[in-house]
Amino acid sequence: MDFKTREESDGKVVVIECPVRVDSGGAQDLREIMTESTERDKFLLVVDMDKTEFMDSSGLGALVSRIAVTRSNSGDVRLARVKDPILKLLELTHLDKIFQSFESVQTAVDSFDV
Amino acid sequence: MESHVSTKENPKRDLSKFYLLEPDYDRPIFEVPKDTREKIMEKLEFLYGREEAERSFQEIERIMKVHYAHKPPEMIEQERDLDPSERFSEKDVILITYGDLIRGDDQLPLEVLADFADRYLKGGINTLHILPFFPYSSDRGFSIIDFEEVDPRLGTWENIEALKVRSRLMFDGVFNHISSKSRWFQEFLDANPEYQDFFTTFSTKGAISEDHLKLIVRPRVSELLTPFSTLNGKQSVWTTFSPDQIDLNFKNPKVLLKMAEILLIYVRRGADIIRLDAVTYLWSELGTSCVHLEQTHLVIKLFRDIFDAVAPNVAIITETNVPHDENIQYFGDGYDEAQMVYNFALPPLVLHAFQNGSSAHLTKWASGLEKVSDEATYFNFLDSHDGIGVSPVKNILTKDEIEMMALRVLEHGGFISYKDNGDGTLSPYELNITWYSAINREDSDESEDLQIKRFIASRSIAMVMMGVPGVYLPSLFGSRNDADAVIEKGETRSINRKTYRKESLFERLDDKDRSAYKVSRGMGKIIRARIREKAFHPNAAQQVLDISEEVFALVRTSVDKKERILTITNIVDKVQELSIETKQIGGKQEITCRDILSGKDFVSSEGVLSLNLKPYEVLWLKCS
Repeated sequence: MDFKTREESDGKVVVIECPVRVDSGGAQDLREIMTESTERDKFLLVVDMDKTEFMDSSGLGALVSRIAVTRSNSGDVRLARVKDPILKLLELTHLDKIFQSFESVQTAVDSFDV
Repeated sequence: MESHVSTKENPKRDLSKFYLLEPDYDRPIFEVPKDTREKIMEKLEFLYGREEAERSFQEIERIMKVHYAHKPPEMIEQERDLDPSERFSEKDVILITYGDLIRGDDQLPLEVLADFADRYLKGGINTLHILPFFPYSSDRGFSIIDFEEVDPRLGTWENIEALKVRSRLMFDGVFNHISSKSRWFQEFLDANPEYQDFFTTFSTKGAISEDHLKLIVRPRVSELLTPFSTLNGKQSVWTTFSPDQIDLNFKNPKVLLKMAEILLIYVRRGADIIRLDAVTYLWSELGTSCVHLEQTHLVIKLFRDIFDAVAPNVAIITETNVPHDENIQYFGDGYDEAQMVYNFALPPLVLHAFQNGSSAHLTKWASGLEKVSDEATYFNFLDSHDGIGVSPVKNILTKDEIEMMALRVLEHGGFISYKDNGDGTLSPYELNITWYSAINREDSDESEDLQIKRFIASRSIAMVMMGVPGVYLPSLFGSRNDADAVIEKGETRSINRKTYRKESLFERLDDKDRSAYKVSRGMGKIIRARIREKAFHPNAAQQVLDISEEVFALVRTSVDKKERILTITNIVDKVQELSIETKQIGGKQEITCRDILSGKDFVSSEGVLSLNLKPYEVLWLKCS
């Protein structure tokens, strides 16, 4: 699995570090990480996209795969360090209006105010 | 199928349904009845003033006379027996499709559509809504370059006529706007005086005050005014939908007259139903919201007057993706405006019910649905080429409920389109997702059979509700999201506009092991069951039962009160044990019911009908 996860803020926030490419293969991993996190009642998720240069539709699908579950449990999925190509993809699909995006992982983690 | 359709092997032209190619002026010329003249004049006077009304009426009268001269005697004879309350019946089911959703080798797309209709629609769907099939420049057909031609990439008028032999046809009247690549707009750019008032223009982009801009309700976030270079210099033009879709200016009576003429040309070319696209925005007045204006309603009513006089077989359906209460205003008094309106609140409410396992909102809303008149009814669709509009339920669901519904659509691989609220904020306008994917999660470990049952259960609701049901072609075989197309085309609506290769689609539809086959069988079953029952006539009474949040139930009673069907849809994946008092269903204390879908019988005992529904099971109980 090319994704790395760690917990911040005393384990309340899960930070998911994405690889360079999030396409059909990686998207499944991202879905599983998100599902596993929410099943452990971790609803504050930060997706660190510093390394990510390419994402396809399945990657986008994975990003939003737990968005309703997190928000209905007072949580959220937030993005950090999103690069231009991915930002454009988010704008194209209107997902930029869904995600809060931060310049650093720390500000994304802190935005949860826990 | 009892309809106008005849088989491919034995094509039969019903002469009462086809206009003459050329007018016959040797027959008596049509005389406009006095009451028709009065009705039309009243509207023209309100819109344009007395003097202009007189001039415009003369042209309308001419257009009507020309149209009438195209009618064969068989049609005139048939119209004498027309009963407007039977314009739509239980036999009507409308398929919504682009002309080229299915493509084949060495065949024009409209020929492929005819093959598809012959092979898979016989005995079920009797009406084809072919989305705009005219030459266009954008918006998948809704930016029309020439209203009177068939896009040669799709086929010809002869292909449309061939479809008419098989089915009733619904055409789009995309009259709010025209393509920036159209001849009319080019004439405007060329400063042809005849076309200067065909569009709403301003000298500068900032000519509309911020206060006025804020009032204007639009479903898009693009700029309202688009600048163009003309022979006379820069002009800013009113573009509600996109820079390529130039709003027509109905304040100019010549625009109205031209559109009335085109409407009747569509009728002569085979339209049985005309869908007035985006009609909400037809008339604009600065200082107002520019939606649902009285003038807009009058234009529709005027079109209706013309149809009533010279094309009484033809119905108008309005497409107004707005809150339910505003939507049903397009019925007028039930006899003078649209004969059918899109039941826009239905898709989001059915989706909400299945997402939440609760029919509470759907049941409450459906309980309040009233029959408008014997001549007007609802178009009960769940999906179309566009997304699932959420504005229609903004007064039915809370903001939080709508937001959660939208987030769940994202989880199911869909997208959200937004509208500008005019105050710098955006809100969801529609949810872009196929109906199958909206109802089912592709990444779920559920069985395919369960997902198909859930899908069919959701579709069954549109089949039983008061009105005429509609199905978007990809839902006939449970099409999934095409998210790649969204990225490729940069348009969220592309998620549900995938095109199919004829050979592979037919193969899937014929293969018993494929999901497409199973879905189409399930759809065919509920469609065929519906069209056999008088209790599903659009004018049959509807009584919604509040039995349990986990089911949606209603009773339909035929117009002659001789037949009664209790429909129950289990909207959750749990078994439902229900006890329904027979007095709720009406009729006798003890009843015997047959499920017309499965053939199973149920008998009441001591005034109670006990039912056991499996997950997502649908029962249509014909009771006596």
